[in-house]
Amino acid sequence: MKLIENIGKFLIKLFSSFGKFILFILFFFKYLFKPKFYLKNNLSYFVNIFISSIPIIALTGIFSGMVLALQSYTGFSRFSAESAIPNIVVLTLTRELGPVLTGLMISARVGSSIAAEIATMRVTEQIDALKTLNTNYYNYLVTPRVLSLTLALPIFVTLVDFIGVMGGYIVSVHRLGFNDNLYLLNTIDFLSLGDYLSGIFKAFTFGFIISIVSCYCGLFSDKGAFGVGSATTNAVVISSVLILSSNYFLTELFF
Amino acid sequence: MKIEIKNLKKKFNENFVLKDISLTLEKNKSTIILGESGCGKSVLIKTIYKLFGFDSGSILYDGKSEVDIDKFSMLFQYGALFDSLKISENIAFTDFINNKTNFERKVHSLMNDVGLNKSIFNRYPSELSGGMKKRVALARALYKNPKVIFLDEPTTGLDPINSDKINDLILKVVAKRKITAVTITHDIKSAIKTGDKYYFIDNGIIQDNGDCKKILKTKNKIFKSFISGAKY
Repeated sequence: MKLIENIGKFLIKLFSSFGKFILFILFFFKYLFKPKFYLKNNLSYFVNIFISSIPIIALTGIFSGMVLALQSYTGFSRFSAESAIPNIVVLTLTRELGPVLTGLMISARVGSSIAAEIATMRVTEQIDALKTLNTNYYNYLVTPRVLSLTLALPIFVTLVDFIGVMGGYIVSVHRLGFNDNLYLLNTIDFLSLGDYLSGIFKAFTFGFIISIVSCYCGLFSDKGAFGVGSATTNAVVISSVLILSSNYFLTELFF
Repeated sequence: MKIEIKNLKKKFNENFVLKDISLTLEKNKSTIILGESGCGKSVLIKTIYKLFGFDSGSILYDGKSEVDIDKFSMLFQYGALFDSLKISENIAFTDFINNKTNFERKVHSLMNDVGLNKSIFNRYPSELSGGMKKRVALARALYKNPKVIFLDEPTTGLDPINSDKINDLILKVVAKRKITAVTITHDIKSAIKTGDKYYFIDNGIIQDNGDCKKILKTKNKIFKSFISGAKY
């Protein structure tokens, strides 16, 4: 009996959290199209996210491209298809690895920081202080973070795509002995706008997922240091799972 | 503004924090809410402020159930200053985020009122002591010229000298601005010094109330035990 009761409690909690999350998203859109829009706050948050994430994005891109070239060579050389490496590198990066790896890295880098910051604000009553100062926390806290990350992720993915292709180029030309001009020509010829745009669409989606989940986890965290810790962990875990699962459906969409 | 609360009940997850609260906050007077930690004092003032809803009862603001909460201000227990903003931006928060730039004079005047040196104008909250943070929070609460100010344990975490300074400051600004003050405190000395009327809450209900100057003459056993620190 106790087991059934506990399962019931768990399911009620799960569904009520899901319902709360859906309401949170609806409220975000409601306030997005209402004044007040704090332009200065939005811009400064965008710049902050952008500058702080560039190093991690560059490293993700370069090493992904380099490893991809090496691993492709290992497989393709077995049936003499080495010439397909530039095509595979650019296609895999733009359609798949670029958006997914960037999403996962940004969820760890920015998502965790959003959740921790907002949860700390909640614990220290700064969210209540915002309300007493007649400031809507959707407009002041949620909108700048969600808009900034949703708009920044496609830029990050473009950078990862470019740097990744360059990583593949460096390994292919200097380590595997490819002709440099031929490698670049094959890359450019094979890449279509559709491939790039499918990755960018994924990036928009992942940016929205990371930011909205992180804001939610922060705003509805439990009190105390434990609450801040769980909010941060939940933000990264839930964002990562949602990125990986939604990636399948988005891939089906562009298949 | 006069605030009348009748039979207020408020619960969290089926547990009633406020079981049956009735009290009156007189216009331009200083009311003190006393009680043990966790007895629902902070919930009560946040409910009056409309930061929380309530389950039953009524709250009337000058006889009406609706109120513009812009007439209220709150000093939070630990200041609740925004870490990423400078002191001046914290004090003039609403003007600052709305890109108004002419708040410097008003901020300087408020800093002077609460005894803050102008040199901290461009500093951040993390660079200030506990007492200074409380003063900044008080200046922020006064910035919008409230009709009612709620003070959540204004002397918590301060040494006796700084506590006394904050109490003097509260007395001074409340008298100068003619505002209704509602203070939560555990500190009997502060209650006697700064309050006109007190309410003592225990177990979600008002156990005792009266004139702050006569707190020590209370006949209520529970309140007497609270004052003496003995277990009842």
